[in-house]
Amino acid sequence: MKSKNKLTMCLSVFALAGALLAGCNGAGSKASDSSPSASPSASASPSPSASASAPPDANQPVDGGSIVISSFSDIVSINPIYVQDTASGDAQGIVFANLYDLDRQGNVVAEPWSLAAELPTISADGLTYTVKLKPNAKWSDGQPVTADDIAFTLNTMKNPEAGSPGISNVDKIDTVAKIDDQTVEIKLKQVFSPFLYSLFTPLAPAHVLKDVPLKGLEKNAYGSDPAKTVTNGPWKWTAWEHGQYLTFEADPNYWGAQKPHIQKITYKIYADQNTEVQALLKGDTNMTEAVPLTMLDTVKKQKGLNVILAPGPQYEYMSFNFKDDNFPDKYSPFKGQKTRQAIAYALNRQGMVDNILKGTGKLMNSPFLPGSWADPGDRAVNYNYDAEKAKQLLADDGWKANKDGILEKDGHKFSFELQYNAGNSRREQVAAVIQQNLKDVGIDVKPKGIEFSAWIDQNVTPGKYQALLLSWSLTNPDPNGESIFSSKYFPPAGQNAGWYKNEKLDDLWVRGYSVIDQNERKKIYAEAGQEISTDLPYVFLYQYGLPQALDATIHYAEADRPEPSLAYGYLFHAINWWVTPK
Amino acid sequence: MTEYLIRRTLQSVLILLLITVVTFILIHAAPGGPKQIYLSPNLSQAAAKVQEHNLGLDRPLPVQYVNWIGDLLRGDLGYTFKNHIPVGEIIWPTVGHTLVLMGAAWLLTLLIALPWGIYNSTSEYGLSDQTASFIAYIGFAMPTFWFGIILQELFALKWNLLPLSDMWTMGKEGQIGDLLLHLMLPVTVLTIGFLASYVKYARSSMLEVLDQDYIRTARAKGLGEGRVVFRHALRNALIPIITVLGLDLPVLVAGAALTENVFNWPGMGRLFVQMAVAREYSVLMAITLLTAVFVIVGNFVADLLYALVDPRVKLSRKGGAAA
Repeated sequence: MKSKNKLTMCLSVFALAGALLAGCNGAGSKASDSSPSASPSASASPSPSASASAPPDANQPVDGGSIVISSFSDIVSINPIYVQDTASGDAQGIVFANLYDLDRQGNVVAEPWSLAAELPTISADGLTYTVKLKPNAKWSDGQPVTADDIAFTLNTMKNPEAGSPGISNVDKIDTVAKIDDQTVEIKLKQVFSPFLYSLFTPLAPAHVLKDVPLKGLEKNAYGSDPAKTVTNGPWKWTAWEHGQYLTFEADPNYWGAQKPHIQKITYKIYADQNTEVQALLKGDTNMTEAVPLTMLDTVKKQKGLNVILAPGPQYEYMSFNFKDDNFPDKYSPFKGQKTRQAIAYALNRQGMVDNILKGTGKLMNSPFLPGSWADPGDRAVNYNYDAEKAKQLLADDGWKANKDGILEKDGHKFSFELQYNAGNSRREQVAAVIQQNLKDVGIDVKPKGIEFSAWIDQNVTPGKYQALLLSWSLTNPDPNGESIFSSKYFPPAGQNAGWYKNEKLDDLWVRGYSVIDQNERKKIYAEAGQEISTDLPYVFLYQYGLPQALDATIHYAEADRPEPSLAYGYLFHAINWWVTPK
Repeated sequence: MTEYLIRRTLQSVLILLLITVVTFILIHAAPGGPKQIYLSPNLSQAAAKVQEHNLGLDRPLPVQYVNWIGDLLRGDLGYTFKNHIPVGEIIWPTVGHTLVLMGAAWLLTLLIALPWGIYNSTSEYGLSDQTASFIAYIGFAMPTFWFGIILQELFALKWNLLPLSDMWTMGKEGQIGDLLLHLMLPVTVLTIGFLASYVKYARSSMLEVLDQDYIRTARAKGLGEGRVVFRHALRNALIPIITVLGLDLPVLVAGAALTENVFNWPGMGRLFVQMAVAREYSVLMAITLLTAVFVIVGNFVADLLYALVDPRVKLSRKGGAAA
């Protein structure tokens, strides 16, 4: 049975795209893997009792024990239809099994703990996805997870009345039809290859929620009351003290063949990141998802703490606004391609990565994450720091220095406001570097920090700014960027906040999601990468990560180590982790 | 007296109503809303609009206010917008937590400040007085969060003597001993901050009284110094101190946001900051209202206490003396 599953999995992966074979290998070898734990050596462990309790077994998983994970924000709701903030996403990942999961490389896979039995089969025309559930998957109240749950979840998310933030992941769905208790057939309105990633989702229980009116669904206690939140993952939700902590305990009736080792997880909420790090140093918590860069050195120096530094699934950019109305003299200075390229050359991006990001960053030249399958590599233009070249390009584009040394063109001074959210120390530092770098080539930048919520409301969403610093988190690894770069998505309805229009790119995005074959897609995104890095709606600054820190009580096999390149990757394969027995 | 009480109560209700109107307008005038916190390439504005509608955020402000006040009169503080949790469920525990923390600090402050201030007034510019001045300067000048972090660094991290933060150790909720340990650092921080002003108030208020003619008369009569200080001077000197106490009473529930943040104390101050960031209007309104109630109650209690310590104050219709 097991080997047969594996075979179908590989075959369907093959049908999907040959390049995905690596994903199968990873999934198959996992169970027997017991390479050394990633925590520092056993001797670094501060607890003397660790050596007393059978040191030869330090690399063998043990059941029981508990961990405390810290966070600086509380959850909102863990109803899968409404989860959108990180804290709720964390909690959701602990208590819900996903229909499909991602492997370390970001490929969609059916893991032993995924609800689906095998990868979906996709019809030759690319429009029909057939999804099969594992027959033994169960909710925490004992009910089976069925095709009704898939249909309910997707149909609810897709219905505008429900107001689900996930609507854009499922709006290409035409119908969801139940074939039998374990099987559904999802028909799309058009070929849309990123849809596969929309199946990387938890499900909501139809038997609990199907009679709740859609308009009242978000207000329903499901998702905010632990007692009423029926789940289907390895742990179940046992308590929520608002603003203080959440607790989760291994579900004794969990359906999966592979059970979680860790008995209890506490998700503890702190007032801010600094207090969080203090608690980790003191030993009150065992893991934090994001150490602020200002405290990174202190954490690294502490014995028994393991810090994972790597670029993550998010990138920072400086967005140009192309709409003239946003400038006092009704003239956007960013319209010349050479001008934008000059700005890219003028910025010392490598300097920002080295000095501000402290090992968590990597240069980025296009909106596709380096190392992902869609990474255009050298096809994307890399702008090395070169102030002379920048000055040359600006001169070519008609900018001349006035008596104050500031550039001017047709009577317009090259001066703009660079917005970012106040209190974000990384962006404050980067804004200062940009101000200095551009001053060197004759451009006047006025950095301005604004309170986040107000900023998003008044500037970002309506597209009313001159230039801004912001980042995108890529919750799934699909390279489709239509909703942020295409001229179909101008504000306020769309997220192309800089009013950028490039017909060639508009077309490339459509072509990119209209083919299923990944090799074909790869070629299209290489072209998109070249075009976007030449034309520059943004200056792509860098990919950056949030340093994760864990203490020596947490153990995992090499194959189950946290994966910083994935969203929520800090709990990657946590079902296989274990803790030092106390 | 009854008439006075009724009049004060009516005044208070009117003031409260005004406060709610003003804060309601101010809070909603702040740009951004409960749904603006998130920004992701996947969240469409259309979906956000539907959410706003489902949560009642798109109704006109006056309608929202009337709904809110209507619910309030029925004893319902409302629900959070984002996850529809009763506001009371969120607020009441934090009120208790803050009362414990601030109450402890306040009591300790009074126990130290009053005797010390009185003593200092009798030996002006002595060693004790100079020390108090020194502490007062430090207490005023030192940012509380900074002092808190220093204490944490030393007592919790370096010497490992006391808990770093929180109200209880996990799993020991409800144990008094554990609570006392957790109170040590934040109460120290708060007390030093409070002490600065209270010692000074007590001292200067006493000095002023000790300078009065009737004290000289008392001394001339040949009364002992102790009798002069405690029988004649203290009662009068307490009046300004009571004013300050009354004004500080709301702090007992409003909490000290910075101290609560540094020590991760699950109190109202911390809650208010979190909820302001999240734009949870109903929680913010409830906290404002609660604080306002305490301001009014504080003033009222202070007025009543005047009458107790100062026979010249009569709670009369004109109320002039009490003002």
